[in-house]
Amino acid sequence: MTFAAIEEWQVSAPEGAPAGALVVAPPNLDAVARVLGWASEVGRPVLPWGGGTRMGPSGGVVPEVVVLTSQLTRVVDWQPDDLTLVVEAGALVDDVEAMLAERQQSAVLAERANGSTIGGMIASGASGYRRLRYGPTRDRILETVMASGDGRVFTSGGRVVKNVTGYDIPRLACGSLGSLGIIGQVCLKLWPVPESAATLDVTVDAFDGLYRPMALLETEDGAMAYLAGTAEEVAGQAAAVGAHAQPGLQWPMPLGGDVQIELRVPSPLTSAAVTQLRNAGATEFRAQHGIGLVAAEFDSWSSERLEELRTWAEGQGGAAVVLASPQSDIDRWGQAPGSVDLQRRVKAAFDPRRIMVPGRLPGGV
Amino acid sequence: MTLAADLRLVLGADRVLDHPLDLQIYAKDAGVTPGTVAAVVFPETTQEVAAVVRIAVVHEVPIVARGAGTGLSGGAVPTRPGLVVALTRLNQIWEVDEAAHTAWVGPGVINLELSQHTTPLGLHYAPDPSSQSACTIGGNVGTNAGGPHCLAEGSTVSHILAVELVTAGGDVLLLGGAAPDPIGLDLVGVVVGSEGTMGLVTKVLVKLTENAPEVRTLLLAFPTIEAAAETVSSVVAGGIVPAALELMDRPMIEAVENFKSCGFPLDAAAVLIAEVAGHPAAVEAEAQLVADAGAAAGATEIRIAATAAERDLIWLGRKSAFGAVAYAAPDYYLHDTVVPRTRLVEAMSGIYEIGERYGISMLNVFHAGDGNLHPLVAFDAKEPGMLEKVRAAADEMVKLSIEVGGALSGEHGIGLEKRDLMGEMFSAVDLDAQARLRDAFDPIGILNPDKVLPEGSRCFDFGLVANLDPESAA
Amino acid sequence: MGWETDHAPRQDELDGCVTCGLCLPHCPTFRLTGSESASPRGRLAAMAAVAAGTAEVDERFEEVMGLCLQCRACEPVCPSVVPFGRAMEGARAEIAVQLPTRRRKLRAWLLGRVLPSRTAVRVASMLAAFAQRLRLHKLPIRLLSRIGGLRRLPLGGPSRAGESRTAAGERVGTAALLIGCVQDAWFGSVNEAAMELLTAAGYDVSAPSGQSCCGALAAHDGAAAATERLAATNVAAFANYDVVVATAAGCSAHLAGYGEWASGGEELADRARDITVVVAEAIADGRLPRLPPRAISVAMQDPCHLRHAQNVVGETREIVSAAGYEPVEIDDKGLCCGAAGAYVLSQPKTSDELGLHKANQVRASEATIVASANPGCEMQLRFHLGDRYDVRHPIELYAEACRGFS
Repeated sequence: MTFAAIEEWQVSAPEGAPAGALVVAPPNLDAVARVLGWASEVGRPVLPWGGGTRMGPSGGVVPEVVVLTSQLTRVVDWQPDDLTLVVEAGALVDDVEAMLAERQQSAVLAERANGSTIGGMIASGASGYRRLRYGPTRDRILETVMASGDGRVFTSGGRVVKNVTGYDIPRLACGSLGSLGIIGQVCLKLWPVPESAATLDVTVDAFDGLYRPMALLETEDGAMAYLAGTAEEVAGQAAAVGAHAQPGLQWPMPLGGDVQIELRVPSPLTSAAVTQLRNAGATEFRAQHGIGLVAAEFDSWSSERLEELRTWAEGQGGAAVVLASPQSDIDRWGQAPGSVDLQRRVKAAFDPRRIMVPGRLPGGV
Repeated sequence: MTLAADLRLVLGADRVLDHPLDLQIYAKDAGVTPGTVAAVVFPETTQEVAAVVRIAVVHEVPIVARGAGTGLSGGAVPTRPGLVVALTRLNQIWEVDEAAHTAWVGPGVINLELSQHTTPLGLHYAPDPSSQSACTIGGNVGTNAGGPHCLAEGSTVSHILAVELVTAGGDVLLLGGAAPDPIGLDLVGVVVGSEGTMGLVTKVLVKLTENAPEVRTLLLAFPTIEAAAETVSSVVAGGIVPAALELMDRPMIEAVENFKSCGFPLDAAAVLIAEVAGHPAAVEAEAQLVADAGAAAGATEIRIAATAAERDLIWLGRKSAFGAVAYAAPDYYLHDTVVPRTRLVEAMSGIYEIGERYGISMLNVFHAGDGNLHPLVAFDAKEPGMLEKVRAAADEMVKLSIEVGGALSGEHGIGLEKRDLMGEMFSAVDLDAQARLRDAFDPIGILNPDKVLPEGSRCFDFGLVANLDPESAA
Repeated sequence: MGWETDHAPRQDELDGCVTCGLCLPHCPTFRLTGSESASPRGRLAAMAAVAAGTAEVDERFEEVMGLCLQCRACEPVCPSVVPFGRAMEGARAEIAVQLPTRRRKLRAWLLGRVLPSRTAVRVASMLAAFAQRLRLHKLPIRLLSRIGGLRRLPLGGPSRAGESRTAAGERVGTAALLIGCVQDAWFGSVNEAAMELLTAAGYDVSAPSGQSCCGALAAHDGAAAATERLAATNVAAFANYDVVVATAAGCSAHLAGYGEWASGGEELADRARDITVVVAEAIADGRLPRLPPRAISVAMQDPCHLRHAQNVVGETREIVSAAGYEPVEIDDKGLCCGAAGAYVLSQPKTSDELGLHKANQVRASEATIVASANPGCEMQLRFHLGDRYDVRHPIELYAEACRGFS
């Protein structure tokens, strides 16, 4: 493999990509592996790129190669009766969910994905609001086919809904932020979409009275409970809390500002996290009650404010994560976990030359 | 000093066993293959576990963690003279957080007893392996154990938020946490299901699940296995995921009725046990949907348990299945494979064919909802050549499962039993990736060696050079 | 190497174990130690190792077997129905023959000769009664301290040996009462209650004088020859009665296994009943009355040899309810109290741990009366609970209630 061979896959840089980097869109996963093998050989830092929607602060090292998954968009195998879907990583979440909706199924990925890809969603470890009912995204990744940092294509997991064959690398890939390699294809566990759904205007106090809601959200505009199930169940629960119910799941608009911080705390502390963020001057926020995730938007950047939030969240056993910041070299994570040495070794197992987004994980891993 | 002497310095005389009799007692778990034990220790704290690991490292003795020893794949049995670390004494329920629906527990806590402990709070620990009255949370973490109710709730890994891990180097690490999406790589997911090859788990933060306000259990009888499997498919296709969907074939029904008489219909070719749980309004409708699906597929009898006693009786029948076989035959070999739900019928007929060909008697009871098959072979190991025959048939069944798109194991683990079949499912590169991951946790190969990965998983090394060769790349 | 006696664990008993491990959580010693070597599965593995010739009947084997309480809690939960208690008695018999220590010979003499001798037990009881009055049980000597678990003993008293009474009302059959070794001397009121209730329930009752100690303690200790001799004596003494009734759970459970020990033993076993079973049956038939309820709780302690060995659980509750009390459950698992016959002396540490645990379960129930249908358990509970609690046999509670009512 020479530089010239890769050049034929070169494309123009997507918006927001680091200036001056070589941007390639390999036609298949083998080709992705060859790019990574070459980058390993020559020691060039690589940034995988899906929809470019969840990139976050870059973490310091400037990537010299950007690998797009835009050519990997096939739906490989959908087995509605098995509730499994095999799809390539570059497929858009919205497209996939629209297809699944035709058979009343869902991969339960983030709502309002706005151009995010399946691979990007998984690599960033993002889950939808409905994780309260269905669990986080990582519970639904049954199989991955990846190209490792040193250019090997390997499969892990299996295309069945229950499996303990070998180590759970699909789960490890989820939230790995591209640090191990590039996810080329995944098998996802699907859920049937319940026949009926409603969005309830409630107060936070009413959350406790609901049985297994889809999501419990609080925003600057108030609290909302999301129910789904049989028509009788949804109507019965809505009546029980005496709330106004709109049909369907009316999700709030995603946050969009340049300054976003997310607090991750044990779930009983969700309201406390909201208070912390409000006191810190958040203009908008999305709090997931029952989960302990609160993302907030700010008008302006302040390092002191971040430090204060971090001190509080870390004191609760959680974290304050920078989702977006005008400062690209900002410390996205705060205090690294105690397992940072082990994390470093795990990364090295897949990326021995340390070319995959070096420094993007906590502790500079 | 000898290994045992060093261990006694740390733990005292009472908590180290090395008499040949004890070593024989510890040579087996609930599987069929015995191993060899160098010593057994009973640490009571995380620090003691760490100290034990450091001693084993010095003596270069493999370390095998053990809970209640109810595993069926030989995961808790040392293959070469190894140190068995019994974690049964780390059995404290440290803290139950009612608001967060979590609990910190020791690995030695018994699965069922955790649920009993949290029942007054309206909470339970969802994964419920058939051995749940005896098996430990630590063992469940080791194998990523399943159970009938994992269909809707997911296997063990979905219920573990954090673990305290003693590493191969004797360090103590906290992985994961009570907050969602812990930052960094998700190493908890790697440890769960790693069968003691990544470290020794000394504390576990489990997620507890709200008890369902309403439960309906149904028993459906069918004239053919196909009709039962068709019902499973149409229930799931119908848009609901029941709490459990369990299937039993005629030989198993007969064995269970002989053993416990739970009132299962003896004239049926298969029975399906379905459970729907949730909001009262939903449960009614979903039970009806299951009943309708059964009727459409030709069910000869549909029973909806009207009382808790009737429900318990149905589950007694299901949970007595392995006991029934133990009662009927001197030995049994319990398989565990997974196939896609839609290939159930095909897989079943293949499995019956294999049984017939080998002339072994087979009974089936399994988690039909997630395609997790458990063919059970009843045999007498004292019959010459029988065990070999049973093993050969087992291998064929596993290969058949892979052929129809399935996997080696759904919940029992790979252990020793299926280690050498890993190549059926994974390529050399795939196995190499797993081996490297393992080496990252255990660079000296001291944690439960010879398990999970077949020999030679690491020697594959085509590396960068071959990959960069344009000829081979083309 | 291998086994030497006819009583040894049999190969089919050992092969029955499929090593599933479901017995483990039900075994009191496994619960305490977390050790497979202290579990039923482990003990069977040890026996299997001896049978296979890969282990010997040595001191460690003796320790492993010796820690077993023989509570048989493992039996009802065993899917393969391994007769564990039988196999354990066999293993103990092998130890007795293969490792004959002076101490064990002394025990065999005590259990086989002294305990079955009414004279010897009476003399010992009188000494114990004096010791109680001199408060010698406050001394730090284990054997003496256990006298604190005894009821206040009379300095002398009638034995019921040889006594006969005729049925009151309609006669349903003849019953022989096994008066027991210590039961006769130390728990006379239990036997008295049994005779009253049996006659009231329509039995002609006799306590044949030719009877002997049932031999349970000897069997548990592996004193096979003594066990056989005692069983033969009782088979002869108890011929020709419709039912043979024991007032101690340990005795009734041992009678149920007489087939192992004497010719004609199986036939006797078929006629043998625990008193609680006979009384509960009479209450259910209306031959004995149900008394009006009063709001007093009674903590129910299940002797292992009723609950696990004979699956008798509901009967004791029935009797206590019929006496007008409210039975209160203290332990849904039925873990052994640690008395286990001579175990209280041979394994003091384990016995005390279990006894304390059981006492705490009673205390948590807030009842101050405890019903226990076995003398060993009663002594253990009294010892660990202290004077504030009254521990009684369920039929005593019932008989007293009947007396007060009539």
